[in-house]
Amino acid sequence: MDKKIMPLSKLDINKKAKVSHIKTEDKAMLQRIIAIGALPNTDITLIQRFPSFVFQIGKSQFAVDKELASCIYVRQI
Amino acid sequence: MEKRDYKGPIENSIEMAIEKIENLLKSDYYLSGRSIAILLLQEDEEIRNLVKEKDVANFDRIEDIIKDTKLHYANPISYELAIERQDEVKDILGRYVKFEKDRISPQEKLSRALMNPLFGIPALLLVLYLGLYKFVGQFGAETVVNFLESSIFDKYVTPFSTVLAARIIPWIALQDLFIGEYGIVTMAFRYAFAIILPITAVFFLFFSLLEDSGYLPRLAMLIDRTFKKIGLSGRAVIPMVLGFGCATMATMVTRILPTKRERIIATLLLALAVPCSAQLGVIMALLQHNPKALLVWAGVILFIFLLVGYLTSKILPGERPSFYMEIPPLRIPSLSNVMIKTYVRVKWYFLEIMPLFLWASVLIWIGRLTRVFDLLINLLKGPVSAIGLPPEASKAFLFGFFRRDYGAAGLYDLNAHNKLDGVQLAVACVALTLFLPCIAQFLMNIKERGWKTGLGISVFILVFSFSVAYALNIILRSLVVVL
Repeated sequence: MDKKIMPLSKLDINKKAKVSHIKTEDKAMLQRIIAIGALPNTDITLIQRFPSFVFQIGKSQFAVDKELASCIYVRQI
Repeated sequence: MEKRDYKGPIENSIEMAIEKIENLLKSDYYLSGRSIAILLLQEDEEIRNLVKEKDVANFDRIEDIIKDTKLHYANPISYELAIERQDEVKDILGRYVKFEKDRISPQEKLSRALMNPLFGIPALLLVLYLGLYKFVGQFGAETVVNFLESSIFDKYVTPFSTVLAARIIPWIALQDLFIGEYGIVTMAFRYAFAIILPITAVFFLFFSLLEDSGYLPRLAMLIDRTFKKIGLSGRAVIPMVLGFGCATMATMVTRILPTKRERIIATLLLALAVPCSAQLGVIMALLQHNPKALLVWAGVILFIFLLVGYLTSKILPGERPSFYMEIPPLRIPSLSNVMIKTYVRVKWYFLEIMPLFLWASVLIWIGRLTRVFDLLINLLKGPVSAIGLPPEASKAFLFGFFRRDYGAAGLYDLNAHNKLDGVQLAVACVALTLFLPCIAQFLMNIKERGWKTGLGISVFILVFSFSVAYALNIILRSLVVVL
């Protein structure tokens, strides 16, 4: 059975995870997420959640707001 | 490059659609037909309009293919393509690149500390104190300005040109244009070279250091939540911080903000409540011996900044701002880069403003000669007296429009001659900071935001600045505050 899938905003800090899917109806939001590269099967680690969400993908770090972080669904590994 | 087949249902696959569209593109686009087809499938508006214009005959058929393909995929095509590309990149990287195991370097530790509010906010205050107050305010606006003004201009340039002008220009009225109280040499050159140049040069040096160290995105992420309340995202810290150098330049930089709504809010706040370095310099000089008045001034300006931002974000329609930014690694700035950037910015600034300084001198000269200025100064005496200032201060406000710092500098002279008390100083500094932007910024507002918005912002500021100063004066006086 797969481990639980949750939005990135709920992920524990410094736990390794993989992006499972993106959930948004907003095209502009989807474009932003594509630009960041938070696409399915990508390894992702949350570094901090306050005052903004900061996560790492590969060698890059991104700061995003809660709205964006809630669109990225991840699975802890 | 090797052509790659995209996965998906064969008969309606993206690959098939690309091929079909490619065959329908008959015009020359500088890009390959394949690139154009892929961009069309990703719903790139610019390319769509271009194709609509160039391939009129086939456009409807192309649109049908795109519509049909979209039906066969659960996600937008751009998303499907991004996943395909990502898989390809992973495949290549996996074969040829080996990654070291992740460990947290000292830089990374510092980076995380700067992003943690507990350490990051005190660090931010320290950066602002050392950078803006100590370096730009004290070193730039006082030490360097004093040296240039008293040791160069007052000693050599002004006396020399006064003697020279008296000798070669026979008419007193024309002499005034060059060496009068607001003359080209005595005011325009002196302000431009001895006051504005050192302050902006020092500010841009500080800003370039900040920029090249990678600190700005960390500042943006710290401040995003606060800025969201005033309708902006963390990204707007870049024009806002730049506004402390030159709000005119910062207004141009609001182009980096993604929505029109954010650009309008940022333009308004820059014009209203962000004092530029030239103003800051003079205000610091005015209030340096009166820390309580300085505190009142800073508190009121910050309050107005947040209040007006909050109200504007409630009134203006449009999408809420979204924040996302890459956080680059922290770096030690390269000296040559910083120097080149500072030089280019100072040069831009100077070429842009020097003509305006000259024009301001000429306009003031004409205005004084024809007595139009006396009329305007008299008109302003009413509101100026209403906020509890001596009527002579109206001169500072009128000239303030030609350059915001002329106004502040005029106030400085006024204070040197007839002492203003602490409340008057605080009220005057608040009014001048909020008052109409200088003529350069006024023109930039119109250029960037259009006639209606640009003019609207200015009229609002004209009324609002005096209202705030009026209220502040009444509050301070009725509370019998002594500053």
